[in-house]
Amino acid sequence: MNKLLDWLDERTGIRALMGEALDEEVLGGARVRYVFGSVLTYLFLQQVVLGILLATYYSPSATDAWASTAYIQDQVAGGWFLRGLHHHGSSAMVVVTLLHLMQVVLAGAYRAPREVNWWTGLAMGGLVLAFALTGYLLPWDQKGYWATQVATGIMGTVPGGEPMQHALQGGDQYGNLTITRFYALHVFVLPLTLAALLGAHLYLFRRHGVTPPAKLSEEELKAKAQPFWPNQLFIDIAAMAVCGAILVGLTYETHGAELFAPADPASNFVARPEWYFLFLFQLLKYFEGPLSIIATVILPGAVATFLFALPFVDRAESRQAKKRGPVLAGVGLVMVGVIVLTALAIVEDAGNEKYQKGLIAAHEDAEKTRELAKKGVPPAGGIAVWQNDPEFAAMELFKANCSTCHAVDGKGGQEAPSLSHFNDREWLRGAVREPRSVAYFGGTKGHTDMEAYAKEDLPDEQLDAVIEYMIQLREQGEAEADASTYDAALAKKGQALWEDELECSGCHEVEKGADGVGTPVLWGRGTRAWIADVIRNSGQAHLYGDNAEMPKFEGKLSEADIDTLADYVYRQGWGKADAEAGEGDAH
Amino acid sequence: MSTDDQDSTPEAKSPTPAAHGGEDEGRRTFMKVGVGALGAGLAGIVVAPALKYTLWPLAEGTEVTSGGDDFAIVGQRSEFGPEPVKVDIYADRVDAWNKTRNVKIGSAWVVEREGQLVAFSTVCPHLGCAVDYSPEDSKFKCPCHRSAFGLDGAPEEGPAPRSLDALELSNDEDGGGLISIRYERFKQGTEDKVKIG
Ligand code: FES
Repeated sequence: MNKLLDWLDERTGIRALMGEALDEEVLGGARVRYVFGSVLTYLFLQQVVLGILLATYYSPSATDAWASTAYIQDQVAGGWFLRGLHHHGSSAMVVVTLLHLMQVVLAGAYRAPREVNWWTGLAMGGLVLAFALTGYLLPWDQKGYWATQVATGIMGTVPGGEPMQHALQGGDQYGNLTITRFYALHVFVLPLTLAALLGAHLYLFRRHGVTPPAKLSEEELKAKAQPFWPNQLFIDIAAMAVCGAILVGLTYETHGAELFAPADPASNFVARPEWYFLFLFQLLKYFEGPLSIIATVILPGAVATFLFALPFVDRAESRQAKKRGPVLAGVGLVMVGVIVLTALAIVEDAGNEKYQKGLIAAHEDAEKTRELAKKGVPPAGGIAVWQNDPEFAAMELFKANCSTCHAVDGKGGQEAPSLSHFNDREWLRGAVREPRSVAYFGGTKGHTDMEAYAKEDLPDEQLDAVIEYMIQLREQGEAEADASTYDAALAKKGQALWEDELECSGCHEVEKGADGVGTPVLWGRGTRAWIADVIRNSGQAHLYGDNAEMPKFEGKLSEADIDTLADYVYRQGWGKADAEAGEGDAH
Repeated sequence: MSTDDQDSTPEAKSPTPAAHGGEDEGRRTFMKVGVGALGAGLAGIVVAPALKYTLWPLAEGTEVTSGGDDFAIVGQRSEFGPEPVKVDIYADRVDAWNKTRNVKIGSAWVVEREGQLVAFSTVCPHLGCAVDYSPEDSKFKCPCHRSAFGLDGAPEEGPAPRSLDALELSNDEDGGGLISIRYERFKQGTEDKVKIG
């Protein structure tokens, strides 16, 4: 090992280089307060490695971004963990950057001769925020899409900002070019710039050394000095380990980063920026219309200018904190402002019912779409994942084949019965009481034979009994009849009424296998199989016979499609009531 | 905390060795080992899952791309004869996060031999170029390294290690003479025909 090192050293001078890097004298001794820069360097390097790993699966295009992110999150082994680390790592960078900044301000380390180092540091702080902003959009999910819309929208409202906005997003709308640009910024431009600034920052840091406590004299500093390696480095790495442990814990705790449903330009998502931008979001609420520029440009600009000018603003003769009261108060005020605004934003959202509801809906959508994505996302892109939903397929089929005449939830034609609540007790009651209303057969050309049954002729409790009987008849048509779906005693009463008193049996048969007289036989009427039969050919003898008006779909639609449609219609009414009742029983 | 020690690195150049706070060798060793151990632990946070993550497509039971495990219809019986015909094979394809319906997943040569239809994959068993048919000399020819195959698929010239890969073909007599093929891919460069995926 040593020989190998000797060999290498002779050719490269690696020992001298290592010595150069590590044998730095820390005046006044190693201290915990010096760790922030090192921790940030560690975080940055970790973000780079994680970013490269993510890039091995991620695909930056408007059609693929969400699908590939969902793939990383839900399918690739360890994907959720690495993505989660990268996500929380950005939060950690923001936090540690702030701590670093505050430490530097407290120590007065921005003062001569370290002004340039202060500026490179501030610039890097800005870059950290730019990383966060560009990275937020890349998953192309609802949250990233809408929050970033707000950010670029702000850019567009600033005087002269519109060309900038369009240049950044690659046109006047979001699309493929937005994502490729953000991607290029996030993975090439920003890291390279940050690395260059970091080099300058470290070089200047080594040139000037740490900024030791101001109250120690030259002699004391010298006497207490310790080498960087291993004393300071040990403290640094211990701090990194703490930071790393927190990140791992947080990542496990949250199961990585959130991934919402794919970006849907037609939705109204409750957009919120990442937590560290909430103060700006909150600030924006206080300035309306033309005044909003105060929140978007003037105030943030003023703070940035103040920070950049700090070395000149600070005219105190000593670095000691007590001599720099006004400067510290100024920076403190900014910090307090940021914290208060952030807290306000959180509190307001917590009390905002609409937002909370939206959030719940968003989480449901996220869960659903990610489940659907496991079957593979159609190449049309993120939102096309809904096509994997059997419900979506059914709705599309219904829209294409049925909705010209039949309505569901108020959408569709009125030439035929509405299928919302089709066949549940309420629907059946209505069909008997007012068969010619548009919700039933009012829109059809025929179907005029059935008379409305008025209350005088058929009191409510009798009607209920008859309907129970109809439900019993329907249930008998199921492959596995479930007697718990109806009230057998009531149905029996209904049957007696049917046979002895009412006139229904004059037109409706109730026997299995019987033929109707242009009217549906009630045995098995309303099961999925029955609905499928109607869709196939409603002119069959046990259905509407010669009175049939509905087109035949047999041969036009595949059997699978017919079954899908039958199931969909079934679930609009009786099936839905049935499922809900079942749930109720279970509780 | 009394003796001052020189750093063990040969090029150590502490400007004021006597100025160190001073600590015993044990403490310094502890810190050095600590730096190594914690550093390795930090790296492990990313490296360990990264290995699993990167090699995931190779993992047992993972299928990153797939398509056309079933027979795909390629045409009517009457379209094929003793002269080879190239057909494209369409199937639903799952490729990592995408599922695409009815896309081209490959092609095959279909030729009649002694009254029977046979299908050969167009993928050259040498290194995977697409094999052509040359009507002048009635041979399948690979444009890459000049492998040539007879109409029965047997290698006749060039580096190809085995015959063209025959694909399963089904002739549905009752279903109106529709011809369908099960498209599969095989390992390249080997003498044996080994299915991949
Ligand atoms: S790939 Fe066909 S001969 Fe080499």
